[in-house]
Amino acid sequence: MSRRSLRYALVACMMVALSLAVAACGSSNSSSTSGSSGGGSKTVPTGKKGGSVTVLSAGDVDYMDPGQMYYTFGYQVGYSVQRSLYFFSPKDSTKEIPDIAAAAPQISGDFKTITIKIKPNIKYSPPVNRAVTSADVKYAIERAFSANVPNAYAVGYFGDIVGAPKTPTNGVKQISGITTPDPQTLVIKLSKPSAGTVYAAMVMPITMPVPKEYASRFDAKNPSTYNQNVVFTGPYMVKNNSGGQLTGWKPGKSISVIRNPNWDASTDFRPAYLDSWEVQEGNNDAAVASKRILQGQSLVQGDGAPPAQVLQQAVNSYKSQLSFSPSGGTRYIALNTKLPPFNNINVRKAVIASFDRNALRLTRGGAIVGPIAWGYLPPNFPGFKESGGLKAPSQFDYLQSDTGNAQLAASYMKKAGYPSGKYTGSEKLLTIATNADPGKKTAEVAQAQFEKLGFKLNFREVPQDTLYTKFCGVPKSDYIVCPNVGFFKDFVDGSSLLVPTFYGPSIIPANNTNWPLLNDPKVNQLVQTAQGTPPGPKRDQAWANVNLAVTADAPAVPFVWDNQPIVVSKNVNDVNDDYSNGPFMAFLSLK
Amino acid sequence: MLAFVIRRILWMIVLLIIISFVTFMIFSVLPSADPVLLRAGRNASPELVKSITKTLGLDKPWYVQYGKYMQNLVLHFDFGYSYQNNISVRAQIMDRMPATATLAFGAMIIWLLIGIPIGIFSAVRRGTWADKSAMGTALVFISAPVYWLGLVSLYLFSKDIGVWPIFDGAGTYPTSGNIFTNPVAVIQSLILPWLVLAASFAAIYARFLRGNLTEVLGEDYIRTARSKGLGERRVIYKHGVRSAITPIVTILGLDLGILLGGAILTETVFNIPGIGRLAFDSIQKSDLPTVQGTVLIGAFFIIFLNLVVDIVYAFLDPRVRY
Repeated sequence: MSRRSLRYALVACMMVALSLAVAACGSSNSSSTSGSSGGGSKTVPTGKKGGSVTVLSAGDVDYMDPGQMYYTFGYQVGYSVQRSLYFFSPKDSTKEIPDIAAAAPQISGDFKTITIKIKPNIKYSPPVNRAVTSADVKYAIERAFSANVPNAYAVGYFGDIVGAPKTPTNGVKQISGITTPDPQTLVIKLSKPSAGTVYAAMVMPITMPVPKEYASRFDAKNPSTYNQNVVFTGPYMVKNNSGGQLTGWKPGKSISVIRNPNWDASTDFRPAYLDSWEVQEGNNDAAVASKRILQGQSLVQGDGAPPAQVLQQAVNSYKSQLSFSPSGGTRYIALNTKLPPFNNINVRKAVIASFDRNALRLTRGGAIVGPIAWGYLPPNFPGFKESGGLKAPSQFDYLQSDTGNAQLAASYMKKAGYPSGKYTGSEKLLTIATNADPGKKTAEVAQAQFEKLGFKLNFREVPQDTLYTKFCGVPKSDYIVCPNVGFFKDFVDGSSLLVPTFYGPSIIPANNTNWPLLNDPKVNQLVQTAQGTPPGPKRDQAWANVNLAVTADAPAVPFVWDNQPIVVSKNVNDVNDDYSNGPFMAFLSLK
Repeated sequence: MLAFVIRRILWMIVLLIIISFVTFMIFSVLPSADPVLLRAGRNASPELVKSITKTLGLDKPWYVQYGKYMQNLVLHFDFGYSYQNNISVRAQIMDRMPATATLAFGAMIIWLLIGIPIGIFSAVRRGTWADKSAMGTALVFISAPVYWLGLVSLYLFSKDIGVWPIFDGAGTYPTSGNIFTNPVAVIQSLILPWLVLAASFAAIYARFLRGNLTEVLGEDYIRTARSKGLGERRVIYKHGVRSAITPIVTILGLDLGILLGGAILTETVFNIPGIGRLAFDSIQKSDLPTVQGTVLIGAFFIIFLNLVVDIVYAFLDPRVRY
């Protein structure tokens, strides 16, 4: 072997050894870096105007069309080029503030009418150029119910609007429950007292205004071609031509973003320091991309997170360039509560009691990525404190130990009818995991722990998309365990975390996210009560009650409320958007 | 010759139809993920899923879908629209072709410039330490996976994260322009990918040529040429290499055809927005029209270049007649 090739081999071996060492040992340091490890009030650095950064992402945005946008990276771009009715300041990611709206909405006493005033001087980018009106928000919501603009959450979160279609319409149809008595007023009437949920969901892209006279010709096609011709209301816009076609978006390659010449800073909480920014896509190797960011200039993270070994390096040597954004959800191992053996609650409790949840957390980076989860409302989320905070309430004995309690597990197995304290069935339990790290590592650690309790698994590793579209999201596939699922908020309200995941009527034949297939009438009733409770402390308590009831059903093994690590280059002042879990482009500045 | 070319073109069409059918069956009848559900998003209602299925034409029987696809392809050269972003597949392929072509041709020039001289040198100096070193090194580069070699080269030589920052690294291929409109930026960004991609090909060609030339240099006519008093250089190049190099033409056509379909691993490691990366992204998203388009383009180049190679062979080797 030549000396050159020996050197290559040594470098490769060192890299493999280092990554194994970091994955095995994790870190016992807690994070305390710039930005924040949680929501709530934070300081937001100010910076100097001007300059440009490059965002390194692996993939592309899902859509530019706000009516279809539903992916966190789409949000990272979207909320700096568009404005929704309400959004979150990076200073406090738990409280919506008015964005297109002029103030908090007026909600009627019966919680069935929401009235919103729109700011008068927010303008669209060229070629539309005019001011936004309430009719634009009305059109934006209506188009999301059409087959031409397939929107996954319109029916789920806005379906209670009077006249809202239950099935996708042929073309865009008017919704009688949305009226605009004047250009600055939007009135939404609901068929149920669900104003709390609808208001919370108004942070979502569906409320980003769309000018009907410009967009309707694109929306007449199926699928709509507005995606390639979007106009913008934020401080930035994607480069376009005089006809409005997005020339700055080369799908799968790059997005060029410049200042919106019609943006009025006095109407916006975003400072928009940078003059421009560019998204460079195709950075599939997270280690290379993260290293480029840490060692380079004017680079920021897009989708994806630094892998464990680079994260460790960042903690040790680039601490000022690393921050964490709460993902706003929980990662867990879902157990199918409909099929044996996990249709027996004592078996489920035994599994949870036996699991070393710290070992599961280590596969994602250790303590540095977040606290060990016991329930399904994460820290700083409404209802988290009311549920009991970081420590599981004492009534959940199976969640008291982070590293597993074999004796307690054995006692639950005995209650379940297994006198030996271990599972003695011979069938292999269909377990579907992702084939990409870190989920793959998590699943493999989980497999070992199931086997310690006597379970035999039919363990299959598949691509992430296959996992959700063919197995775990399809109840008929008869999976027994989905060992690396996670659900993250759509907005800051218990309904967005607990309804799709643990509410019986949420179970659907495909793209299902109630992975445990939990359908407990008690939980369902508590959900309905919470949904009808007005915003405020009582609603938070109501969702906490749901959280506790779900935890009592032991449908899954929760293991981490993780924080998304985010890295930026040394010359960038980072400010995170905890909604999209990425840098908030409209707040970034250069040092 | 004309009859041969016509026969081969007809056979090319048949092959492309078979390939398109097999690809269609793999990705639509046996898909790894459901493109409708991927497009619909989480918690999409069954009604929305049904609506998207209809919009994408996936509610029709598979033979109707395939027939429509082939009709559009043959009559309009239309590869369809991406399930993910609704952009024309043909437009995406044409947009990315320059990057792939530049990568492939650039690497080809480098591996020929390196591989052929080394192969000749090794054949002429066979058995010496120089020959053994050259062939040993070639073996290492043949064995090293391109992906690994690419990552190691980035960690060693790229300007942003390399130990010895010499070359432009991943993601430096310009987002606009090509080798003709933006030559400096394109060339700078491709030096390292060219070297990585060329490494294993140069090694293969060096070993291949060495073997061929060694055999040819033992032929009677070479002995005759020497005994007639011809200079050694003339014997080796005019008589030896000329004969030994014709099989290289065959594999060159095949290799170039494969690369023009997209050097997936190289493009992915170095983030070059070519057809290979397009294929990689579309496979991940179960975006059948884009997968189908990239597979057909790749197959076309392989088959077409094989035809070109066969024709060129007839001119190189007078014994070959069709």
